[in-house]
Amino acid sequence: MKTHLRSCVAALALAAAGAGMASAQELVIGTDVDAGTLDPRLTRDTTAYRTSNLISSGLVQLTPQLEAVPDLAESWESPDDTTVVFTLREGLTFSDGSALTAEDVVHTFETLIDPDFNAPQRSLYTPIESVEAIDERTVQFNLSTPYAPLLSYLDMGIVPSDYEGDMALEPVGAGPMVLESWTRGSEIVLAPSESYWAGAPEVEQVTMRIVGDNSARAQAFEAGDLDVIQSPLSPNDIQRLQDMDGVGSAIIAGLGVTYLNFNTSDPLLSDPEMRQAFAMLVDQDTIVNQIYQGVDEVATSVILPGSWAYSPDIQQPTFDIEGAVSKFNELGWSDSDGDGFLDKDGETLSITLSTHSEDPNRVQSVEFLQAMMQQAGVDASVQISDWPSFSTGYVQQGEHQIALLGWLNIVDPDRMLYSQLSSEGGLNWGGYDNAEVDALLEEGRTALEQDARTEAYRAAAEIIAEELPYYIISYQGYQLFWDEEAVSDVTANPRGAFRGLIGLATPE
Amino acid sequence: MTDYIIRRLLLFVPMALGIIVVTFGLLLLIPGDPAAVLLGQEATPENIASLRDALGLDDPWFLRLGRYMLELLQGDMGVSIFQNAPVSDIILGRLGATVELALVALLMSTVVGVFLGVTAAIRQGGVVDAVAMLLAQIGISMPVYWLALLLMLGFAVQLGWLPAIGRGEPLVSALGMALRGNPAPLWDSLAHIALPALSLALNSAAIISRLVRTSMLEVLREDFVRTAKAKGMRRRSVVWRHALRNALLPVVSVIGLRFGALLGGAILTETIFAWPGLGQLTISAISQRDIPLIQGIVLTFALIYASVTLLVDLLYAAVDPRIRLR
Repeated sequence: MKTHLRSCVAALALAAAGAGMASAQELVIGTDVDAGTLDPRLTRDTTAYRTSNLISSGLVQLTPQLEAVPDLAESWESPDDTTVVFTLREGLTFSDGSALTAEDVVHTFETLIDPDFNAPQRSLYTPIESVEAIDERTVQFNLSTPYAPLLSYLDMGIVPSDYEGDMALEPVGAGPMVLESWTRGSEIVLAPSESYWAGAPEVEQVTMRIVGDNSARAQAFEAGDLDVIQSPLSPNDIQRLQDMDGVGSAIIAGLGVTYLNFNTSDPLLSDPEMRQAFAMLVDQDTIVNQIYQGVDEVATSVILPGSWAYSPDIQQPTFDIEGAVSKFNELGWSDSDGDGFLDKDGETLSITLSTHSEDPNRVQSVEFLQAMMQQAGVDASVQISDWPSFSTGYVQQGEHQIALLGWLNIVDPDRMLYSQLSSEGGLNWGGYDNAEVDALLEEGRTALEQDARTEAYRAAAEIIAEELPYYIISYQGYQLFWDEEAVSDVTANPRGAFRGLIGLATPE
Repeated sequence: MTDYIIRRLLLFVPMALGIIVVTFGLLLLIPGDPAAVLLGQEATPENIASLRDALGLDDPWFLRLGRYMLELLQGDMGVSIFQNAPVSDIILGRLGATVELALVALLMSTVVGVFLGVTAAIRQGGVVDAVAMLLAQIGISMPVYWLALLLMLGFAVQLGWLPAIGRGEPLVSALGMALRGNPAPLWDSLAHIALPALSLALNSAAIISRLVRTSMLEVLREDFVRTAKAKGMRRRSVVWRHALRNALLPVVSVIGLRFGALLGGAILTETIFAWPGLGQLTISAISQRDIPLIQGIVLTFALIYASVTLLVDLLYAAVDPRIRLR
């Protein structure tokens, strides 16, 4: 880190603010957005998830390898395919001193699946039919159907059933930290919790400071105003930070993908062969290694390389302009009027590519795709709008042709396939409909043996790589940088969870 | 005079009404559903429909607009969809930071602009004039976003003199503490506000300096200036007391207009320097389609702007007693 030549004014200022390198035990983490709520059941942005992951604890915790290990639950067992029984640890309490019992677990999940509660991730929990408290420390989940990914989602923070305050603003949980103060839009301050079952973490204070601009956040880190920063960061800054002395870094595979969503109900794109031809115009290498400067990885299929279901043998089409053109020709598209664009029955081959304006790299990728397509004789146009217009007003309404966007938090293959690509799935915006894929995704969700699941997902991925309702451009990377003077023991988590910054990457 | 002020204040009412209707209309026209944004990408259409219902988003527009107006009449700006807190509380909690930043930037740009403009005018055609106007040209053409990052890189990252982000104690309370013998918070606040205010002020300083220069050049050629000089008055006193006072009239109105531009510019500056003001809030409210919050912010900005224009018109009369407000 740069030597700090602080002037008299700034030195006084720092002494007053108690900021800077004052104590190794106070951690300031830069984040890109403010939390929308701190109720773990309602979190939807990354800051809310990461903060409430410190304030509350779930039955299980996901390790950096995404393995579910005991947190509040001491152990669990499945007497049959649709029942899971959890035993809670002894003497658990919330940060307000009240006891955490099976009733609180029941309350948490009952509200979560209640349609009127409007939990953003409700659909992940809908296979839960009911939750029963057997006794103080035993809780039973009854499922409507076998549901293999369940454990991956049970890191959901448990909330007290009889809490009078507002969980969204003054959360109470059984996690390693407690909320000290929250200045909306500015910072969230946490202190260690004495009530955490594994004992209070050693850190004295954790502050989440919101700096919306990616480059400004990187500079504030360099200037010493922040101790830790993480994705999203601009590729330029990542390169520079990696080379800095005194800065620790973890550049690992994340849990997200950047992909093209093909609208299969669009007449032009309903033929898988057409989608293949378009996919062959995607120069993944240039997008990943030039535009994203290598912080992401070229993708091959809908399964993340870190997943147990991954197989390198499943391959989507790769970049091949000539191949694409001859495929278009085979399908009857040729440049018959000599205007440089392919046409068929007097109609020019035109397509609209779209993405959202907030991410300059995505905008650049789409513009690059446009250029490639034009080279191949496709009259490609680009439509860029802000996130709400693009996502809620356009793609989610199925009005797009080819849209570039992403999925995050893919802790299980089920999470980015079942609702997205089942014909009746709630997130199937492109109207993909394949009975075989439906059956395989159902099998992947309900088979409880890992081998059977792997087989099902590989078979589904194989079909998807050929029919291309999705074309996965890249597997997103996750980057974490920290000032080595401020924090030494760091374990990065691909989901960006902060427990690895306070020595709790896995519970004792 | 009092009549004039009352009439101007009454004009606020139709203005506010117009602004509410226009903002509401614009929000109706742009696509994007706050319920869907609130629930995130993984929400199913059923979830979204149920939340839309709970938020009353499916009611016809005139019903929603009417309800909003009625609430507003009772002094209630509604509840933010995303923060689930009263809009007025959210805005009041941040208004101070933005006004403070804009005022400091206004002060900086006025002092620098007037000084540069006058100096350039009295040395017209000389080196000082050329350098000052070159600076002004740069100031006008430099994008705020880029300038802000550059300042941060220079003063916070490379030199380490100033903090890169955040805000200290509010200036007013820091000043109070300084008067009670504790100057540290004041230094801290000044260190924090220096970079954001500077990057915000530069553009306005450039515009003001060019205006002052032109206006000064005109006044310096007037008879009364020649007379003053002929009487043997000191040059400094001729320029700063006699000429500047007369040259300042057009500048006052521009300074008032600049305040509006500064409030707008604060949106970018605040986002970069993590300044906890309305600018940052505006960006997030729009990107979340948080309709009540956007309405509240636009209304607040409009009221501030209208008050400043009124103040400027009153200042006119103070600067030039020949002007009568009727």
